[in-house]
Amino acid sequence: MSSQPSSTRDLPMSSAQPSPITEAPVSGGETNPIREAITEAISEHKVILFMKGTPEAPACGFSARTVAALQSLDVPFAAVDILPDPRIRQELTAISDWPTIPQLFANGELVGGCDIVTEMHESGELAEALQ
Amino acid sequence: MPSPDEIKQRIEASIPGAEAEVEDYTGGGDHFKATVTAAAFQGRSRIQQHRLVYEVFGSEIGGPIHALSLKTLLPQKTPTL
Repeated sequence: MSSQPSSTRDLPMSSAQPSPITEAPVSGGETNPIREAITEAISEHKVILFMKGTPEAPACGFSARTVAALQSLDVPFAAVDILPDPRIRQELTAISDWPTIPQLFANGELVGGCDIVTEMHESGELAEALQ
Repeated sequence: MPSPDEIKQRIEASIPGAEAEVEDYTGGGDHFKATVTAAAFQGRSRIQQHRLVYEVFGSEIGGPIHALSLKTLLPQKTPTL
């Protein structure tokens, strides 16, 4: 249900081999590697969910409900667990201007959190938004 | 810890013409569910509508207010003048 391209290895992407952020990559000129990794992940994945826990083991009811909506549509999506490092949530919220988790992005844009995703799923709009 | 009534009043005071119904989602005093009806939502996307409500609480969301589940609606009837 989720994928893990090697290019987003800096984030704790959900996969058989999770790789939580431990240290910021060392490279000159990058003042905010976490923010850059998030921005890159959002642009590289058609559908990406930032959640608490993993699709297999969600750590919050809102994340679980959002995963269930995506899975019922059989849409492949990447998932990032925000829990291993508080800076992920901090930077994500700064990028998206959205205070809560989960956050679903499609085609580089914020689709919404659990409420909006659920509402769009019930109205049938979600499948279209994820195309 | 905010009460559902306090949350309702703050939403209604901050968004002109808004009517809010707020319930304690889990009974634990930190997960709330709000249905907000406001003409101010007109012409805004769902995301923008929810942002308007979240902005009332700023950094309290994720803090004392662990979760605020939202449903935003436009007023059904326009008053005839």
